[in-house]
Amino acid sequence: MSSDDLLTGGHRDAGPHDVDLDRVWLGVAEQVWRRRPGPVERAAGRLLRSPGLARALVTTPSLLLGWVIATAVVLIAGVGFTLGTGQPWVALLAPAVAAAGIAYAYGPGIDPAWELSLSMAVSDRIVLLVRALAVFGLNAALGLVASAASGAAAAVTFGWLVPMTAVCALALAAATVTRSPNVGVAAGSAGWLIAILAGQAADGRFTTVVTDSSLFLPYLAFAACCCAVVLAATRIPRGTR
Amino acid sequence: MNVELTELTRKFGRVRAVAGVNLEAGPGVFGLLGPNGAGKTSLLRMMATALPPTSGTMRLLGRDPGAYGPRREIRRRLGYLPQTLGYYPGFTVAEFVEYFALLKDMPPRQVPRAVAAAIEQVGLGDRARAKLRTLSGGMLRRAGIAQAIVNEPELLLLDEPTAGLDPEQRVAFRALLRDFGQRATVIVSTHLVEDVGAACAEVALMDGGRIVFHGTPAELIARGEGSGAAGDAPLERGYSAALAAARSVAAA
Repeated sequence: MSSDDLLTGGHRDAGPHDVDLDRVWLGVAEQVWRRRPGPVERAAGRLLRSPGLARALVTTPSLLLGWVIATAVVLIAGVGFTLGTGQPWVALLAPAVAAAGIAYAYGPGIDPAWELSLSMAVSDRIVLLVRALAVFGLNAALGLVASAASGAAAAVTFGWLVPMTAVCALALAAATVTRSPNVGVAAGSAGWLIAILAGQAADGRFTTVVTDSSLFLPYLAFAACCCAVVLAATRIPRGTR
Repeated sequence: MNVELTELTRKFGRVRAVAGVNLEAGPGVFGLLGPNGAGKTSLLRMMATALPPTSGTMRLLGRDPGAYGPRREIRRRLGYLPQTLGYYPGFTVAEFVEYFALLKDMPPRQVPRAVAAAIEQVGLGDRARAKLRTLSGGMLRRAGIAQAIVNEPELLLLDEPTAGLDPEQRVAFRALLRDFGQRATVIVSTHLVEDVGAACAEVALMDGGRIVFHGTPAELIARGEGSGAAGDAPLERGYSAALAAARSVAAA
């Protein structure tokens, strides 16, 4: 029995002869398989004016719920230590946590379909930029909430945002150049640890690294250099003709 | 011509993976044959704009992929299946195909219908809502083919597309290739000479980064006749004879 027979119960004369069953089925499949974007993806699509970019954004590994929860747990632990010891642990932890998130935002080491992404109309460089900014923004917001909750002084509450920019840029540059998120995390964490220890060696306080405003300009200059490295590493050279 | 390559070269350090390839291809199915390490994958990656060439000229779909705007236009009209398909294990087949349809900048309203059509074309309709991690190797390959054809590409690049497919699926896939070849340029890199014989109107044989033979499958078969070259089928003997001839010329 053919599919036409199945549709008409075997009474061929009873059914319409011009029904394109393939077309009908595709219409059904389209409705059944259609994915409804969540509110975050819809909002991102409107903001970025690109549904593809929005979809790429909501699939960022370090923006998935598990990662965000892990980040929150680390920062809550930092709040606990800060309240217990009186030292600004949140300000010291937040940049390292953000650097890990940035390193795991996008790239050949973390994105399984990286090779395919390289041939897509939505540029991998734009995807990298959008994902990195989103991860940075989320981590900054979580860090600020944690810092405020820990009752740190205002200088400490906001002071770590500038070094966090530099540490994140270092992690992103290392992850992009080496094509390994783990190297990015290691570089960001090591860089931050060295900065903390250098600050302590200079004036005996390991909070110098987040409270000394004279360091902000060097931090920003360093971040700019790292961003230039990222741009250079992700550029497709001209001159293919 | 949808593909125009002139003296296209790609080096990895001191190794010349692709060494001055000249190639033109219009609509139809074009087979790319060659032993391992011949440079087929590097050539395909350059045509997919995933790998920039070291030197040479490349025009795809009448555009220069070296400039941002034209490259984006090419990518909208391009389908690419890499040799090793990376995938998101938690995505369903439909989500995977949809993801790449969106990254290809397809108009969002057209995406659901195009996704359904691509999945049906590769025969994965009954697994459309299955997670990719639950699929067999052959099914994953078909999901990869679905993402490559979802935008009805004008240039379709397939690297070992039949790897992992069973004979029945291979036959169906060759029919799909011939269908696409009516309206697009399809370049298929493969080890399986029977795929070339069944689906390709033109074939190029690569060795050592160069194209050492370019012609029709019938011309390749003719190379093997009376040559005493190894092979169980006429096309295999032609492949072996053309390869041996190129190597003896290179050695001389």
